[in-house]
Amino acid sequence: MNATLAATRVLVVEDDPHLAAGVMENLRAEGYEVSTAGDGERALAWLREQACALIVLDVMLPGIDGFGVCRTLREQGNNTPVLFLTARGDPVDRVQGLESGGDDYLAKPFHLQEFLLRVRAILRRWDWYRSASSTAATAVLRFGGNEVDFRVFRARAWNGEAQELTEKEAMILKVLAEHAGEIVSREDLLERVWGYDVFPSTRTVDNFILRLRKRFEKDPGRPRHFLTVWGVGYRFLTEGEP
Amino acid sequence: MKATRVFQLTALVLVVVSVVQVGWWVLDRHAQTHEKVRAARAAYAEQTAAAQALIDAGVSAPRVHELLPQIVVAGGHAALAPQVNEALRTEERHRDNQYAWEGSFFLLALGACIAVIARALRAEARVLEQQDSFLALVSHQFKTPLASLQLSLETMALRTLSPEQSRTLIDRMLADLARMEAMVTQILESARLERGRVEFKSEPLELGAAVARVVAHLEERARQERIRISCDIEPGLYVASDPLALDVVVRNILENALAAVTPLGGGSIALSARAHNGEVELSVRDSGVGFRPADSARLFERFTRLHPRGGSGHYGTGLGLFIVHRLMHLGQGRVSAHSEGVGQGAHFVLTWPAAQGQRS
Repeated sequence: MNATLAATRVLVVEDDPHLAAGVMENLRAEGYEVSTAGDGERALAWLREQACALIVLDVMLPGIDGFGVCRTLREQGNNTPVLFLTARGDPVDRVQGLESGGDDYLAKPFHLQEFLLRVRAILRRWDWYRSASSTAATAVLRFGGNEVDFRVFRARAWNGEAQELTEKEAMILKVLAEHAGEIVSREDLLERVWGYDVFPSTRTVDNFILRLRKRFEKDPGRPRHFLTVWGVGYRFLTEGEP
Repeated sequence: MKATRVFQLTALVLVVVSVVQVGWWVLDRHAQTHEKVRAARAAYAEQTAAAQALIDAGVSAPRVHELLPQIVVAGGHAALAPQVNEALRTEERHRDNQYAWEGSFFLLALGACIAVIARALRAEARVLEQQDSFLALVSHQFKTPLASLQLSLETMALRTLSPEQSRTLIDRMLADLARMEAMVTQILESARLERGRVEFKSEPLELGAAVARVVAHLEERARQERIRISCDIEPGLYVASDPLALDVVVRNILENALAAVTPLGGGSIALSARAHNGEVELSVRDSGVGFRPADSARLFERFTRLHPRGGSGHYGTGLGLFIVHRLMHLGQGRVSAHSEGVGQGAHFVLTWPAAQGQRS
């Protein structure tokens, strides 16, 4: 697997040949290496052999649909970012897409420049995450008996329990760890982890913090590492609050 | 769904109340009848006692019977005539039976009314649901060519393109527009078919001529896609069909074949026909992408788009074969589809009743 190629390669999974061609040509014009797949099974087969930096995934695919492809990838431990393209643009589908492990969601018909912007935003977030986890010092985070390996999205909790992190949990933890001891606002976390307007509410961040507390705090009801700063956001302490 | 639940609860309450009411009514009538018969028996007992007193007083038996006709005298003893006793018992039984029948009939009629109303409500709910899903599917079907159109236009606006690239985009946009136009036509046709608003005439039509007209219309497109259409239909084969329906059916089946062969970069479509057992069969064989044999029935359902592994250029509304199936069915004909599997081509057979007076 060629790592440099994979870093600029995008897989477009779209069953409509015109749309697939249009998306492919535009991504190529932006300097990306593009591969296409016409259905979910072929996309999964391609991804078993090769790697890419982003998957542009249509939802209504023949056979296994886009949500199913994304869920399968996540279950297989493949954390490649996914941008959903779909004709179904209502909020329920949007939430379903993001819950199945997607990073962003764009309803058809879409604006070309918005599409390209979102592609860049997702790749920028992942570039940051990868480079922030690339050295031996930054790849692993230790706090309060917990040990998190950002490269493989795995952790060992203080009680010895193995934990599989979702990429959003890992990203939030990464942002908090980079700013350990400082106050990080909910808006900052949203911006860094999801981008601009994907989720309508900062409540989402709160839910993810609750999940992190459950995984890593000895008493999630009285957290010592993931502290709430009322009205602002959160503060992460490596040493734990005395 | 909520309205259905309310209806179910109301119907249940109505049935329970009616059963209780009818049960109470039957018991009440039974008690009343019983009371009347008991009163009659008491009256007859008094007559018997009176008759016995008359006999004891020395009145002759015939005289007693004359005075009290319901009483018979035998061996100096007065008794109620057996037929009167029997008549009382029969009357009681008859009344009970009558109430039971009337009660059951009432309950049955009520049940039947509820069933009829429930059926009508269910049918209406189904129609509404179908209309909803139809609208959802139709709007979804339009969004893809619209997205492609918008993408092509925005690409032209954003980028500097070579004349060849512009040409490709223009061709793509024209194809998207043609696709949307075909979709509008097919959606209107299928909506009319769904509501049964189709006036179906049946007249003798020459199959060969009808097929030739459609083939002439599609020949140019077939040549561009390197698809050879061969037509082996002897003149004089007449089918009984509606002229418009025949045209729509043949056009849709041929467009389906073209769409199946196009992704393979060329191939053939062979048409042949024969008369057989008072019917005329049109066989359409293509060398296209085919389908899994298990999908042959699903093919004719609305919005079914089978995307075979081999094909990436398959456009369709998912309505063409649905229209073919409905129109064939309306004209007492039938259609079937066969394929050995994906990549193996497909074979469609359309069968019409042969027109009367046809030369065989």
